[in-house]
Amino acid sequence: MTRAMMMNAKDNVAAALERLEGGVPTTVILPSQEVFREVTPEKSIPTGHKLAVKEIRKGDHVVKYGQVIGTATQDIGLGDHVHVHNVMSNRMQMPEVWYREED
Amino acid sequence: MNFLGYERPDGSVGIRNLILVMSAADCSEPVARMIAEGVEGAVAITQHYGCIPGEMVANTLIGVGENPNVAAVLLIGMGCEGMPAHALGKMIKRSGKPVEWISIQELGGTHNAVTKGKQILRDLSEKASGLKRREFDASELIVGVKCGGSDTSSGLAGNPAVGVFVDMLVDAGGSAIMMEPIEAVGAEEPLAARAVNEAVREKIYKMIGNEEKRWSVPGAQMEFMCKGNIEGGLTTIEEKSMGAIHKSGNRTIRDVLENTDRRLEKVPKGGGVYLQDGTHMEPMAMSFMAAAGAHMVIFVTGCGGTFGHAIVPFIKVTGNPDTYRRMSHDMDINAGTILTGEESMESVGKRIFNEVIEVASGKLTLGERLGYDNFSVFRQDPRLEVLLGITK
Repeated sequence: MTRAMMMNAKDNVAAALERLEGGVPTTVILPSQEVFREVTPEKSIPTGHKLAVKEIRKGDHVVKYGQVIGTATQDIGLGDHVHVHNVMSNRMQMPEVWYREED
Repeated sequence: MNFLGYERPDGSVGIRNLILVMSAADCSEPVARMIAEGVEGAVAITQHYGCIPGEMVANTLIGVGENPNVAAVLLIGMGCEGMPAHALGKMIKRSGKPVEWISIQELGGTHNAVTKGKQILRDLSEKASGLKRREFDASELIVGVKCGGSDTSSGLAGNPAVGVFVDMLVDAGGSAIMMEPIEAVGAEEPLAARAVNEAVREKIYKMIGNEEKRWSVPGAQMEFMCKGNIEGGLTTIEEKSMGAIHKSGNRTIRDVLENTDRRLEKVPKGGGVYLQDGTHMEPMAMSFMAAAGAHMVIFVTGCGGTFGHAIVPFIKVTGNPDTYRRMSHDMDINAGTILTGEESMESVGKRIFNEVIEVASGKLTLGERLGYDNFSVFRQDPRLEVLLGITK
């Protein structure tokens, strides 16, 4: 089964350790290799990208490494891709030109 | 653990035995290159901010000349520079190592300068090549840590593995420097929590706050995250920072080394983790770390950065198994084994420590074997610092 790694038990996202296919369940593990849960993303997620391992509401903090890494700009469902299209930095915004073609 | 190094007159220990042929400004660089060409161990370097480059550039060049990897220095000046070669030379000479300087104008042009320069270099090289390596304790080592071309693997595997190594090095009495002023935005709290005292805690917040001001100016945001970061899955500067600071390990942060137009602080004796102010841009950051006394730099890259440095050997670590597969002749350490589940973080950290001892003792890094000799220095505009209210 494919795997995604969640760095801290407080996190609401995990990083895909390999490409995750839509509709196929993936195991979310902690750095200790302990299994946190299984999640099935609706759409595919590229290697290294994040998926939600908990429901995230618009305006909620996105948490990775146990630290706030940004704010959700829309509701994000369990297993959804979490990236520049639905998260904003709380500190410095990067130019849209870096990621425009992704959407 | 011991390594084999070269003792310098000021008591520091070098891991390379280079002779720097340093031109004070880029106008005299071709002559420096002509002099250094074909001489084993000679490296020609310069800076590209013209001949009145300001104090920060001068401080960096002096610090690089003083670096223990450098056995001797030959400075090349045109003769009419605002920052003259002899002034740099006199400062570097305080370290007790052989330092000489020549002026192209004084010697009567290119032919004479090259002839005279080659003559001096031959003497310096003869002395330097007679020096022998001997055993020193690992506590003498000062290792810089840097990341660049980061992707998600850097935060999950590459940087934390280097962090394990840093803890081991510091526990053995050695020192580590991290220079990531911008890639600490959003990661202030965990860094400040490791400060040795309140004063250092305040310095950490101040250094990061100042850098945030510099890069929040409209138009500047282009540079603090790159396209590769986003494609690799990094979403915000906070996420990049949290991944980046892992490479400094978990030990106490002893101080923030000042690096301004006024002075460039060196790593003090006694071991421990230091943050150094400067820039996140890699080759320039390495020159700053070299000027602060670093022997070598460990570089963590997800996408696969392939450069090096003229003065400090550069050990490249990737946490991305695919990058390692595609670029194994560039990557010294494969930390991708953490993500594939083949190896623990601790085991990779130990491998890095072993490689550091080997490289300190003379083993060439892959970058050195490929001939990478990048050298560039960073200049902060003192006028901008005043306009932003950072200095008065």
